[in-house]
Amino acid sequence: MIVEFLIYGLVQSSIYGLLAIGYSLVYGVGRILNLAHGAFYLLSAYIFYFTWSSLITVPGDFGFLFGMFITLILIVIIGMLLYLLLIKPLQDNEVGVMIGTFAVGFFAEQLVSVYEPRTQSISSIWNENFNILGVQVQLHQIIVIVASLLIIFILMTFINKARLGKSIRAVSQDREAASLMGINVNRVVMYTVMISAFLAGLAAVFYVPLDRVAPYLGWVVLTDSIAIVILGGMGSLKGSLIGAFILGYVRIYTVFFIHPLISTLMPIIVLIIILLLRPRGLFGKKEID
Amino acid sequence: MPNKTQRFREKVLGFPNYFKHWIRDFKGGLTILSILGLLSFPLVTTNSYFLGLFILAMIYSIFAASWDLLAGFTGKVSFGHAIFLGISGYITAELLKYYNFHWLSALFFGVLASVLIGLGLGYMTLRLKGPYLALGTLVIGIICQKVFALNPLKPILHGDEGISGLPALSSSTVVIYYVVLIFMIITFIVLIRITKLNIGTLFKSIRDDEIGSEAAGINITKYKIIAFMISGSFAGLAGGLFTMFNRSISPLIFQPLYSFYAIIMAALGGLATISGSALGAFLFVFLTAIFVDFAEISLLIFSIILIIIIRFTSGGVLKPALERLKDLWDILLGR
Repeated sequence: MIVEFLIYGLVQSSIYGLLAIGYSLVYGVGRILNLAHGAFYLLSAYIFYFTWSSLITVPGDFGFLFGMFITLILIVIIGMLLYLLLIKPLQDNEVGVMIGTFAVGFFAEQLVSVYEPRTQSISSIWNENFNILGVQVQLHQIIVIVASLLIIFILMTFINKARLGKSIRAVSQDREAASLMGINVNRVVMYTVMISAFLAGLAAVFYVPLDRVAPYLGWVVLTDSIAIVILGGMGSLKGSLIGAFILGYVRIYTVFFIHPLISTLMPIIVLIIILLLRPRGLFGKKEID
Repeated sequence: MPNKTQRFREKVLGFPNYFKHWIRDFKGGLTILSILGLLSFPLVTTNSYFLGLFILAMIYSIFAASWDLLAGFTGKVSFGHAIFLGISGYITAELLKYYNFHWLSALFFGVLASVLIGLGLGYMTLRLKGPYLALGTLVIGIICQKVFALNPLKPILHGDEGISGLPALSSSTVVIYYVVLIFMIITFIVLIRITKLNIGTLFKSIRDDEIGSEAAGINITKYKIIAFMISGSFAGLAGGLFTMFNRSISPLIFQPLYSFYAIIMAALGGLATISGSALGAFLFVFLTAIFVDFAEISLLIFSIILIIIIRFTSGGVLKPALERLKDLWDILLGR
């Protein structure tokens, strides 16, 4: 039981980490509350499902791997389009951006419902089971944990060392000063949105084979991401990561030891508690670091 | 200095003149035309479907206008306005069905409850700003939805099914139409008047610069809570009317979707223009009605249209539309 709890918790936390960091980045850089973050996940999940189910007759693991590949590419493009077409023109209007991205979330849900309203699932190609400390663990789960943590590590290094990463930090600290320093703020925000979309897409291709594909997932992902980011503190990547682990384990704990149905309620309860007691979260501050 | 009695007399005696000038002027004329239009609509058709659409639009416009007062004028963007809809609705429904109250008193108590909720929400969110306020209210709404749907609480809160089979206000849809219309007119008169009074300016100053307002000596805590209470009361009115119109209520009324309706309608019409909410509400209801018949892809197309409207009219449809109409008006009057 305990081992299962630890491992499932790790999987959930890794996925949450990917989602939360993406969301936090976009907020930190552009002060944008991207209500379409759930849509990124949802669209990725469906593109993945579509590709996989279309290529299921192709022998080998081709459908699955190609599906992952094409999903990630497409979602990054979608992220770019979202920024250019909707977010950038509405920059000065905070409510407008919120409504616009919300409308996109709504649109995404309708779009996938038209394509396939029933809940579906994808089976992973990495479904060998290992016996770790007496518990059956799917290879897929191990890959998810390792890959997510690796990617998060790479991302953190990127933010600190790479040119674009530093630009992202600069813009999140002071937009005007950054542009005075020659940074193309709009470009930087666009790249951030694309990265955020990529991370959400990654979360989707990792998690969907373990979970499911359904139209309502967008809103669940969005509220969970928001809960994590507020728990960790808006604008703090470290906070988002820690928040992801806390919430991931709280969720799995609820599933295992309390009642599975309440688990979807947990992020919301945590959110309320945080907002009432300490709105700025654990590590909240304005800039990204 | 003229004392209060004298000023009052001036206002009352001066009213006919004021009214004459108001009608001649563009906005007044337009408002009168719209009201007359709405008043005479049932004479054009008594089809309950069309009347129902208008009734729904009027109820939503009350709801959206209440949100606009809070968000557009006081700067408190709440994503959980449906909370007022639901609490007021549940109280109204409970009183109507299980205690046989007259609909007016049931409605009254629903609104009363909303005022109290407004007090509570206003107090709880004092420290929250911007996104935190939005998310906090969103989340409280979601919790209300889940709590009211809980099975163990069924005896008090009626769980998933909610309350249904409420007595109709009247057997004639036309009567319901006029009742709602009257409430809508009252709502708009009151809300617009509020925005023009001192308190309206106080709200706006809180929106524009909270710290500065406090420094200027304004008790922002008091006025923030008052804003929530006023906004809540009208949202509760909308909730009660909505429940009575549908003759049922369920936890679904707390969904974020309804809160978003208020935001979308107010934004479509134009934030910080109470009258814009009416325009936005009607526009929204008509758009959904047009597309509902195309089954599956209807909502899809609707969401696309929504995105396009938001993208291209960030200030709301009201102002540009008014500009065009005003030019037309001037031409008609030969200026």
